[in-house]
Amino acid sequence: MSLTAFLGAIELGLVYSLLAFGTFISFRILNVADLTVDGSFVLGAAVSAVFTFRGMPIAGLLLAVSAGAAAGIVTAVLQTKMGIQPILSGILTMTGLYTINLMVMDGKANIPLLNKESIFTYAYRVFNTEAYKIITLLIIVAALFAALSRFFKTQLGLSIRASGDNEEMCRASSIDTDFAKIVGFALSNAIVALSGALVAQMQQSADINMGAGMVVISFASIIIGSVIIKNKNIILGLVSVVAGSVIYRLIIALILTTNFPPSYLKLISSLIVITALSVPAVKNDMEMRKMRRRSTQC
Amino acid sequence: MLNIESVSMVFNKNTPDEHKALDNLCLSVAEGEFLTVIGGNGAGKSSLFNVISGKMVCDSGNILLGNENITFMPEHKRAAFIGRIFQDPMKGTAPNLTVEENLIIAYMRNIKRSIMSVPSKNEKNYIREHLAALNLGLEKRMNTKIGLLSGGQRQAVTLAMATLIKPKLLLLDEHTAALDPLSADSVLELTKKIVSDNNITTLMITHNISSALALGTRTIMMDSGSIVLDIGGSERNELSVHDVLRELSSIKNRTVE
Repeated sequence: MSLTAFLGAIELGLVYSLLAFGTFISFRILNVADLTVDGSFVLGAAVSAVFTFRGMPIAGLLLAVSAGAAAGIVTAVLQTKMGIQPILSGILTMTGLYTINLMVMDGKANIPLLNKESIFTYAYRVFNTEAYKIITLLIIVAALFAALSRFFKTQLGLSIRASGDNEEMCRASSIDTDFAKIVGFALSNAIVALSGALVAQMQQSADINMGAGMVVISFASIIIGSVIIKNKNIILGLVSVVAGSVIYRLIIALILTTNFPPSYLKLISSLIVITALSVPAVKNDMEMRKMRRRSTQC
Repeated sequence: MLNIESVSMVFNKNTPDEHKALDNLCLSVAEGEFLTVIGGNGAGKSSLFNVISGKMVCDSGNILLGNENITFMPEHKRAAFIGRIFQDPMKGTAPNLTVEENLIIAYMRNIKRSIMSVPSKNEKNYIREHLAALNLGLEKRMNTKIGLLSGGQRQAVTLAMATLIKPKLLLLDEHTAALDPLSADSVLELTKKIVSDNNITTLMITHNISSALALGTRTIMMDSGSIVLDIGGSERNELSVHDVLRELSSIKNRTVE
């Protein structure tokens, strides 16, 4: 792997670790696979691109975050207040977002941002090195990591964690689980949208289909991370998400140096998630078979 | 303290399966009383707890706690001053949170302040001391995920959580029934100690008649959604397990006839 490819993989790993932070909140903390992500990622990118195109990249990031939070609130209200199944709530919001994303992008499937000012061009002028993208992303990831580590120790943060862990205990502990979930999904999708917004500015374009498969990619990162670093507490959990995301991108970069066509990537991501999630059940089954075989032999 | 005024609740109303879970039930509990509740399956004990805690809303009647009418108050709001412990030790604590985090959640439940606040060092010390008072050595495992503790230990932590800030009312729903005999005994001992040390108004459902008579200050027996026996004081002290069993089976026979 060339140095450029290696650094490129680190950049992608960092920017997508924000995506994984977001899905970590819904998937690991609230215990719901939230499919809104495929839509809110594009929503963030679309909002960011529209404003970057008009020369307002920072406003683009901030508005992308609010738009993502709004998408998360919709999903959470569907499942808490309207009694729609969690998975379906996400699918409904994601599907609806496709139209909204197209509206944001003024009906165009793609917004190119070549030669536009973005936070990365700002950063290049400040840091004045070739590693400006990595430095910028490191700062953002570190800031978000610090904020989230602190947040999940606060009363609200603990309430959100407990809501995903044991709802009955929450109600007995005077926690409004609906409110906690709404805040959790809003936060999750706001971070996902931030990730999309940064990807758009970094890759200098936003595309209506750039969100396809994002949920699975982020799950793969989370799972790889949890294999490497045991999630003993919430802080290690967040560290493992960043590590997993970077390693995932390095694996992909390695695969791309071979003769695999890039179109295989989604299949590979799916296979990683399937393998990781099925290991306990398959292991159990094999042990049972072994025991049965041994007992018939005697 | 707790006043339940002619509360009724019917399941599957107007169907052949209609079942009166609570039938015009009246109960008055004074401050500091420790009531044990016995009765067969389906007698309405858990329904009584559910309407008090707000898990279910009764069809008619009123529930007053102190001077407040809580009949229609949402469950999570009542939980601020009603402590509740379930039979299943897995239900009272969040397994992926640490012992300390679980206790912090319980501690913060009736302290009004910013939702973005973090407990101070003093508060953490108070929480640790409260847990240390159980004499189970759990204060050394504050950073352990609670899912790694045994059922008895989890139930003890749940008890500590429910009483961390003195509740107006403590509801114990067969909270030792799922434990092994030794753990059950130790959790019962803890219950006795905590309730009497803090003078907490308590209702405890149990199927163990000898502990129903040994613990607390008053015993009620329920059947078909109403109270059929309500004794306290010297009369209760003279009652034997045998008497209660006889009473229970006579009620059973009556309903069969």
